Amino acid sequence: MELAWYALLGLFFAGYLVLGGYDYGVGLLLARGVDPARRRAALNAVGPFFLGNEVWLVAAVGILFGAFPVLEGELLAGSYPAVLGALAGVILVTAGVQLRSRPASRSARAGWDRVIAVGSLLAALGWGTVLAGLLQGVPLHADGHVAGVAHLFTPFAAATALAVVALVAAHGATFLTLRLPAAEADRLRPLARRLIVAAVIAVATAAAVGLLSDRVRAAAQRPAIGVLLAILLVAALLVAHAALGRRRVGLAFAATATALALPVVLVGATLWPYVLVSTVDPGASLAVADAAASAPTLRLLGWLALPLLPALLGFQAMCWWIFRGRTDGRAAVYW
Amino acid sequence: MDTLLLARLQFAATASVHFLFVAVTLGLVTLLVGLQTAWVVTGNPRWERLTRFWGQLYVINYVLGIATGIVMEFQFGLNWSGLSRYVGNVFGAPLAIETLVAFFLESTFLGMWIFGWHRLRRGVHLALLWGVALTAYASAFWIMVANSWLQNPVGYEVRDGVAHLTDFSALLTNPALWTALGHVVSAALLTGGLLMAGISAWHLLRRTPDHDLFRTSLRIGVVTATLAISLVQGFGFAQFRPVGAVQPTKFGGTSPEAEALVAEWTARFGPGDYLPPALASVGLGFMILIGFGLGLLWLLLPLLWRDWIIRLRFPLWLLMLAVPLPFVALILGWISREVGRQPWVAYGLLPVDQAVSPISGWLMAVSLTGFTLLLGTLAVTNWVLLARHAARGAADPALGRPPAQPAADDTRPEPTFA
Repeated sequence: MELAWYALLGLFFAGYLVLGGYDYGVGLLLARGVDPARRRAALNAVGPFFLGNEVWLVAAVGILFGAFPVLEGELLAGSYPAVLGALAGVILVTAGVQLRSRPASRSARAGWDRVIAVGSLLAALGWGTVLAGLLQGVPLHADGHVAGVAHLFTPFAAATALAVVALVAAHGATFLTLRLPAAEADRLRPLARRLIVAAVIAVATAAAVGLLSDRVRAAAQRPAIGVLLAILLVAALLVAHAALGRRRVGLAFAATATALALPVVLVGATLWPYVLVSTVDPGASLAVADAAASAPTLRLLGWLALPLLPALLGFQAMCWWIFRGRTDGRAAVYW
Repeated sequence: MDTLLLARLQFAATASVHFLFVAVTLGLVTLLVGLQTAWVVTGNPRWERLTRFWGQLYVINYVLGIATGIVMEFQFGLNWSGLSRYVGNVFGAPLAIETLVAFFLESTFLGMWIFGWHRLRRGVHLALLWGVALTAYASAFWIMVANSWLQNPVGYEVRDGVAHLTDFSALLTNPALWTALGHVVSAALLTGGLLMAGISAWHLLRRTPDHDLFRTSLRIGVVTATLAISLVQGFGFAQFRPVGAVQPTKFGGTSPEAEALVAEWTARFGPGDYLPPALASVGLGFMILIGFGLGLLWLLLPLLWRDWIIRLRFPLWLLMLAVPLPFVALILGWISREVGRQPWVAYGLLPVDQAVSPISGWLMAVSLTGFTLLLGTLAVTNWVLLARHAARGAADPALGRPPAQPAADDTRPEPTFA
């Protein structure tokens, strides 16, 4: 029961990194200073999906609260500065994308585009830090509380945060090669490939820093799986790189999407059966089963929410299906 | 710095801003469903233009509803980790259900609705808006279930200091729930209706183009707001008895029940101040005054006959001036409900000082100032944009603009790679 909910939590958070990830990637690319028409076209490529993407985060936190209340409190409060940054980023992006085309002046729109870029950067850095914070263990004491927030500031957390920025940028560029009109997408392919190379370097650096870190090595319960998944992540990026070279943009996007989902799987699998590994008192580590809500609550959520899961995913799929393909002259322009 | 005070201030600030926007969301989406249904049923393009104009305002307003809502959701874990630790088994369930079955779907539908004009069949497009509205109401319901549980914890037992769920149906039959839900929903309809009437009144006073269009929305707004104010009053007064019965200390004053409860708490939790600050009930008095004042909307209703409401002009002024009143009343009402349960997070079960996260004061202060400034700035920006779009009129809203048509609101038409 706990495992099913843990998997569902992972599904929604990974789904958020994949879907919100390309929002932020596109957001970061707005900082390139290209002309207004290209910026607007990029945002409208995200267009119909945008509102449906960020709700994966809201759903993930809802599951976290409902099914893992103890974890919710300690994880969010224990990663306070990182969550604060990510949250500010999410807010800036959601307001920026939806409001940027409401003023008519070019300068106002350019200003909002900078807000979106900054927000995307903050969100990627913040979530990267939260994931790294889990992987390097937290000062969880016997009273069940995480002490202080200084534990977050490590080279590994910084390297991971930057790796997530590189990942979302590469993912966003790959998304645009899939969605923009063919001519425009072709212009963007070399950039997407360069960003994927940058992501490979950033991920490899973060992995190396992690392997060198005593805390990460001590926290990892299944280091072999962690290393294997990191290799898979790099492999997915290489597949994306090769696929873009052969204009197989669909495959490339699937590969970068996999690369965005893998960090969540990596954290979950490497720490299993724990979710918060204590750096100060091994006995205080929080196992997934102990973090979960008690049985009646999980049963209730199972009865009420699980039957609707196919509908949730079905309506998301409906959105992807309706608006599939490249944007063209018939596409509505709103953002 | 006092972490608890800062955390409470942040909750008050975020919840207040959040509610200013979600009330409009809930009210306007109800009216939009009516407008778009009328368009699909009659095929009259007038209804389409009304749907696009009010839909545009609805969508702009929605932005801040989401932004503040996300902060609300995270705030429970960030600032109130004790809440999830001690009562998360019960309180977390309705919130999880709200995010999954209500908000997740609401946003998914809305994205398709915004971009689905001229692309989806009319029936499907209308069904999406119905979906947005129904999930918005579901959202309001589950949030009120969660909030009512904090007002009056039911359906749980405490084992090892942690609350466990024993009877979920008790959460749904909570005496603190149904009248409050009716009150909140009708307040949202009042806010949305009055906003529609006020903006229409502005256009009619300025004699902008589209007189007929705004005459229609004025009438819809006035009738909605008038019916809603009576519901607001009815549900409001109906609340006093059930809420007073489960929360004797809430509305100030001393009663034998309140004194007995305070004595019981003193025995169980030790001596302390178990009465909410007087401020809460002062606000309640003002809210009731506003409620009575808006009851005068009934006097405007007969003036709809032969358009006297427009010809006399002063009723239009009154409607415009009345637009802020429901917003003030909303905040005062929520302050009364939320401050009235002090010093408890969950009434009689979990005091606020045990629920607050063990975070340093300065970090909490950074969070409070940062998010209050961020959300405050965004809220003001959002209202400015709303006002400008409201003033621009119904000539060519970006929402639902036919794709081939060049964008009239662009300073220079931007190619969309057509």
